[in-house]
Amino acid sequence: MTEQTNRVRNIGISAHIDSGKTTLTERILYYTQRIHTMHDVKGKDGVGATMDSMELEKERGITIASAATYCQWKGHTINIIDTPGHVDFTIEVERALRVLDGAILVLCAVGGVQSQSITVNQQMKRYNVPNIAFVNKCDRSGANPFRVIRQLKEKLGRNAVAMQIPIGLEASFEGVVDLVFMKALYFDGANGEDVRTESIPERLVSEAATYREHLLDTASMFSDALTEAILEERPIEEDLLLDAVRSGTLSRGLTPVFMGSAYKNKGVQPLLDAVTRLLPSPNDVTNMAFDMDKEETPVPLACDDNQPLVALAFKLEDGKYGQLTYLRVYQGKLAKGDTLHNARTGNKVKIGRVVRMHADQMEDIESIPAGYIGALFGIDCASGDTFVSPRVRLSMSSMYVPNPVISLAISPKDHKSEINMSKALGRFAKEDPTFKIFVDPETKETIISGMGELHLEIYIERMRREYHAEVEAGMPQVAYRETITQRADFDYIHKKQTGGAGQYGRVVGYLEPIVEGDFIFENQVRGGAIPTQYIPACEKGFLNCIQKGPWMEFPVTGVRVVLTDGASHAVDSSDMAFQAAARSAFRQAYLKAKPVIHEPVMKVVVETPAEYQGPVMGSLTQRRGMIVGSQDEGFQSVIESQVPLAEMFGYSTVLRSLTQGKAQFTMEFSTYKPVPSAISQKLVEKAAEDRKHVA
Amino acid sequence: MVREELSRHNPLRVLGRETQAVLSNGAFGAITARAGVGKTSFLIQVALGYLVEGIDVLHVSLKDPVDKVSLWYTEVFRNMTEHWGRKQAADYWETLLPHRFIMTYRAEGFSTDTLAERLTDLSEQGVFTPRVLVIDGFRFDGSIRDTLLALRALAEIRSLSAWFTVRIHRHDPPRPDGMPAPLADVSELFEVIIQLQPLGSEVHVIPMKGGPDPLQMPQMMLDPSTLMVKHRE
Repeated sequence: MTEQTNRVRNIGISAHIDSGKTTLTERILYYTQRIHTMHDVKGKDGVGATMDSMELEKERGITIASAATYCQWKGHTINIIDTPGHVDFTIEVERALRVLDGAILVLCAVGGVQSQSITVNQQMKRYNVPNIAFVNKCDRSGANPFRVIRQLKEKLGRNAVAMQIPIGLEASFEGVVDLVFMKALYFDGANGEDVRTESIPERLVSEAATYREHLLDTASMFSDALTEAILEERPIEEDLLLDAVRSGTLSRGLTPVFMGSAYKNKGVQPLLDAVTRLLPSPNDVTNMAFDMDKEETPVPLACDDNQPLVALAFKLEDGKYGQLTYLRVYQGKLAKGDTLHNARTGNKVKIGRVVRMHADQMEDIESIPAGYIGALFGIDCASGDTFVSPRVRLSMSSMYVPNPVISLAISPKDHKSEINMSKALGRFAKEDPTFKIFVDPETKETIISGMGELHLEIYIERMRREYHAEVEAGMPQVAYRETITQRADFDYIHKKQTGGAGQYGRVVGYLEPIVEGDFIFENQVRGGAIPTQYIPACEKGFLNCIQKGPWMEFPVTGVRVVLTDGASHAVDSSDMAFQAAARSAFRQAYLKAKPVIHEPVMKVVVETPAEYQGPVMGSLTQRRGMIVGSQDEGFQSVIESQVPLAEMFGYSTVLRSLTQGKAQFTMEFSTYKPVPSAISQKLVEKAAEDRKHVA
Repeated sequence: MVREELSRHNPLRVLGRETQAVLSNGAFGAITARAGVGKTSFLIQVALGYLVEGIDVLHVSLKDPVDKVSLWYTEVFRNMTEHWGRKQAADYWETLLPHRFIMTYRAEGFSTDTLAERLTDLSEQGVFTPRVLVIDGFRFDGSIRDTLLALRALAEIRSLSAWFTVRIHRHDPPRPDGMPAPLADVSELFEVIIQLQPLGSEVHVIPMKGGPDPLQMPQMMLDPSTLMVKHRE
């Protein structure tokens, strides 16, 4: 089994948007004869690429969900997960890289290192995933793979080295020169399926020699044997060089760079050779679990079918046949009929159907051996759950889930939509940990949060298509507050003595503003003017007014209420009477205390390349933001500011377009501050309008 | 009244002049001391003196991140207003903040060109146009004359004056004229030099250049527990 596992590769294909990941995967599946016809991502035939099975993906020409498949190449089994490039769907990349052993970082020969390339690079680093780079689109106008290699070094800090050089570029891109074998490769046949090996064209011999020298120099850092051979000026054997490159790749000290054009069917087969030759098998990667009986001591896992099972659920899909759970088996074998434990919940699960995925199609199998990826039906669990054999007390770390950056308030258009919306939201939130829902206790709105406008747009569209739930989306309401700015006295008698049981209570005192805290109640009544048993009722009455301010009906903060005097009636005074007196007294004094509206102000921290610092700062000040300062970190700047929440709606989209997607921001609550008078006026007018409509 | 009260805390009073008259455009001031004596605190009190006057200050730190610098200001302001009501202090603080901008750099990443670019960004976007620069953590070891000259030129073009903290080392004695070693070769570039000198349990504020005769001025010290300036009793 170890020998078999040595010939397995679990790889992800990740990159910035539109770099060609899905097209590359389509070519890989074609050349490995997994599929027999190629289709374009957004082709005229309307079929779409194999890995984009969702209708929305085909229509928009983007990958929304990651898709798994497998193929065979030269005696190796390659399990591939094709991932989306939009940051909105970043969770798909997180989960893929969490469970894969290696990856291909695809870069556009024209665009080079772009914003999501940077994010994907960080994700690969997070999970220590060895990877190779593929500079795609060498047939496009402006293509320059050597510029991309420079960017890999400068922007991503990679030790990138060319494994090939192009034969022609742009419209004259014909093939590549392999710097290991020192041969030219051309891709013939209707779909580039026939790889022809020739001598290096005369005009490229010198250039090839130069780049090969550089390759040897770089690779020799990872092999003493290669260094010796170079120093002794012996001919370098290909395997020696490839072993050195592999060693560098596995340690993540080296990024071998390949070139081609997936769309023009060039350069894919050598890339497949590189996957099998340079990227790790499950045996080459040490995966760790935590021993829950020994204070989470790390324990290495063995890629061995005979060991107790340890598997990680990394993706869930709710379909018509129930929940499909994608799993990576790290140790042991998961077979139909087995009984497993969910390490998080402690629940026992019996394994029914076991399948292997090919995009949206599945193939029933008997078991998933160690080092492989498969899926199960009918298991209730969450993404990141560890499944183990009974009596095994190991757990694996889950994937990193970034915090959402944008929120929308949604409301169903009708009752039927409300029920379906609920079902849809529950399913989406379960499948996608970056999609969050909650009901705001103050505004009662349903708020959905995600990684970007596209993210939320896709879910709203899916709600409509898959659940027939029509919803309206809008900006969430801002949680304003009211507070007073000066002291105001009150002296109120609540009296109802018109016969029968009456009510009587008099409260005297004042309201004043405080800096910290929402509400303080102080009893300074002396001599029993208000009997002690009624004081809590007074406090309750005042508290009732705090929840919905008498002016704008926002929650009131920063108020001290001091009770100094009062009066009671022997018969008619009661808790209810004093509560009512307190409420009315509060309202009486409140407007005299010159209330103002406060708005939440957020601490907004933007990380941006230094070249965009000016426009980013401008975008924040335009939003009534106050820049606290900026931190210069070489190519990156970090700008810290305080911005009202009301102005932050849609900022992620603005920031992306301002910085070509290269900047990111985080936002957390900082404090409440008074709103400017112009905005206060608008809010007052709106509140008056709303009351009129209600009336 | 508030302004007058806070102005009493202005450490530049040791120089016997109003804040704005201390350094003209393009002029430099230096606050020198050994490590841990109170240069940053003194610098921030100088900066707050300007803020109280409504003068925009750009605080450049080559050693601390934005949060830490911000915290310094909060602490020093709190010490200055300890007898105020909290709301009054909080409200007044809000009026000062828009006049301050903090920029931090790694010391090796700082250059006059970078600073000039950032200043242009700030003014072009209408974000901030400083009149005073305070630079904390600038390294005065090695050959810095060219950098200082470039900074002076930048300050003149931008109508800025600048204050620096200058760290002096125990093992590097002052020159015969008393000038601290790091400033010995560049002292003519500084119109004002103030030294913070620990003597026993006190820290004396001594104008070395650009101030009046120390014997004719009430002496100023730093309270060693708060590093706030006070007049010697």
